[in-house]
Amino acid sequence: MKQNKLRPYLYLTPSLIVIGLIVVFPILYTGYISFTNMNIYHWFNPRFIGFDNYAKAFFVFDSGFLSALLRTVLWTFLNMVLQMAVAYLIAVLLNTEGLRAHKVYKTILMFPWAMPGYVSILLWKMGMFNNEYGLLNQWLRKLGLNGVRWLDGNVSAFLSCTLVNLWLALPFMIMIIDGALQSIDKAYYESATLDGAGFFVKLRNITVPLVRPIIAPAVVITVFTTFKQFDIVYLLTQQQGSKTGADIHTVITYTYEKAFVTNNYGYSSAISMIIFLLLIFFSLYTNKELREGNR
Amino acid sequence: MKKVFAFFMSVLFMLGALTGCQQSSGASPSANPSGASTSNAEKKEPVSLTIWYENDQKIGDALQQQLDKLPDVKVKVQRKDKMTDALKLVGNDPQSAPDLFFFAHDKTGLYAEMGILAPITDFISQDAFSDFIPMTLKAGTYKDTLYQLPIYFETQMFMYNKKLMSTPPKTTDDLLKFAQKNTKNGAYGFVEQHSTAYYAVSWMHAFGGYIIDKDAQPGLNLQGTVDSLKYHKPFIKYQPADGDYNTMTALFKEGKAASTINLPNLAVDAKQSGIDVGFAPLPVVNATGKPLSPYAGVQGVYVLKSSESGKKDAIAAVLQELAKPEAGIALSKITNDAPANNKAYADSFVSSNEIVMNLKGSADAVVPMPNVPAMDVMWSVTENMLSAVNKKDGDPKAEAEKAQKTALTQIADMK
Repeated sequence: MKQNKLRPYLYLTPSLIVIGLIVVFPILYTGYISFTNMNIYHWFNPRFIGFDNYAKAFFVFDSGFLSALLRTVLWTFLNMVLQMAVAYLIAVLLNTEGLRAHKVYKTILMFPWAMPGYVSILLWKMGMFNNEYGLLNQWLRKLGLNGVRWLDGNVSAFLSCTLVNLWLALPFMIMIIDGALQSIDKAYYESATLDGAGFFVKLRNITVPLVRPIIAPAVVITVFTTFKQFDIVYLLTQQQGSKTGADIHTVITYTYEKAFVTNNYGYSSAISMIIFLLLIFFSLYTNKELREGNR
Repeated sequence: MKKVFAFFMSVLFMLGALTGCQQSSGASPSANPSGASTSNAEKKEPVSLTIWYENDQKIGDALQQQLDKLPDVKVKVQRKDKMTDALKLVGNDPQSAPDLFFFAHDKTGLYAEMGILAPITDFISQDAFSDFIPMTLKAGTYKDTLYQLPIYFETQMFMYNKKLMSTPPKTTDDLLKFAQKNTKNGAYGFVEQHSTAYYAVSWMHAFGGYIIDKDAQPGLNLQGTVDSLKYHKPFIKYQPADGDYNTMTALFKEGKAASTINLPNLAVDAKQSGIDVGFAPLPVVNATGKPLSPYAGVQGVYVLKSSESGKKDAIAAVLQELAKPEAGIALSKITNDAPANNKAYADSFVSSNEIVMNLKGSADAVVPMPNVPAMDVMWSVTENMLSAVNKKDGDPKAEAEKAQKTALTQIADMK
């Protein structure tokens, strides 16, 4: 009996060891470094300095950090709303009865996911938003209009980044919603139609309640990846050698520019730990909300 | 049976997962040093040394070819991606670190402060550098200690499309007039990476300003720096707002820009694209009488402190070989950059290469990129200032003060 209880743990051991090595250990090690003065002047001989790095880290959380935090919340919210709405619309269209070659469309829609994010972002930067060579300004000029400096202004840069994020994130969301829609038994809709229900009634009373448990984990994952998005904002507006002047820092790009470039690993680790804790609290809160919503 | 299989798979998976953690039992890059280990051998075994580099494979091949000539030293020139990070991790570990590495001079201070570098003069006499261009030696010197054996350098040049510009401007005022007159219908008189620190600094130097000095003091709010920002601003009006590398180089290579300031490789690419490229000295700023003075990057070899003491003679032999003009000539043939050793210019290939000779001609006027660790934070701070002034019409004085304050904070945060 005792042996039977232990056996599952034995089978789990390899996975737990791998998770411990690649997830838990780096977090613990970052926590350890955050209490030392590990920087280029004490690279191989760091010493314990208590909470000094944390005290210094809170100076990073100045007015610039607060506006970056608010911008990140707005960025996350806007992106989630757009992703859900557009992905839902596309998924519904893909599930239209009688649609020919829908597998071809699905494959095409997955393309942005197949490309490395870094390449996609730089293609958007040079191919679409570039003032000189970008497709958008070429079109405007053909129409006799002046080109727009898409990535220079704060608002236009923010919207441009949102567009690129949408392009990159849609395949995942479409795939999830498409799968969720296909799992709904068509009999529900047929019965509702016989009862005289319209599109919105069916949407509210059948589709949403049935797809919600399937989509919820994907939404949580996407909220976090959007919240800690770095590549898009950094590569489009902050990349060294081609900064555009737009100040649309998110929490991650702001702390990167304030702390990580200093080569002070103790200090950077302290900031990482604070952001990590913020995300953990955020995660617990979101999970609680979802659990309550599913009841 | 199922249980046995599951148990077997668990153990197999665990072993597989941990395989990567195993330390190589084979020869380490620094293994087999000379000395006692060879005492029993009848014939003296050559000493093995490893050199890391991150550049193009052709550069590594040329170095390898040069060092294969050494009789008693077996050198392995090994390409290493993300070498900067790798050196930070293993720079003091004789089992994992190389003995030497080939890299640009601007990280000298960083590695010296980390304590992983050995002074070059521990292996090779200062007299060996009597024929070297002084600027190249200054570049690899940190806190009065020479850490880099310079091999070649590169810097920015004024280059122009002979079809679009008949006479290159001697002054910046002439350049501005030319840009005003010739910028129309998608064509430009002059383009540069105007908001990139590496390029914009040449304007600062011409006004007596700078990004950071050798004592790690930022100079972004100096009068000279602010004056350069103000003076430079009208030039931006006649250039694409992007100001990034891809846009500016594409315009020059496509024959849409009459002139530019850039690195030698652009001249090579433009010639391959059919542009008749001319070179001229960097224009002089009328207001100060000084020419634009860009940064220079010096490529050379460093010795790691962790390299075992038994290899001192072998390392000295490698350095002596690379200090010869032949090394600079061989690499110049690949890179079109200028050898650090003056004797290399007696070679007919070098002396007939217009690009190389232009670089050599500017050696006294250029400024080696700062090699202090604090420079790492200055790139971003300076570019934020430049993009605010050049792209968002920010006030030069206000932006310079803001940038100086940020720079001081970040330099303090490094410690």
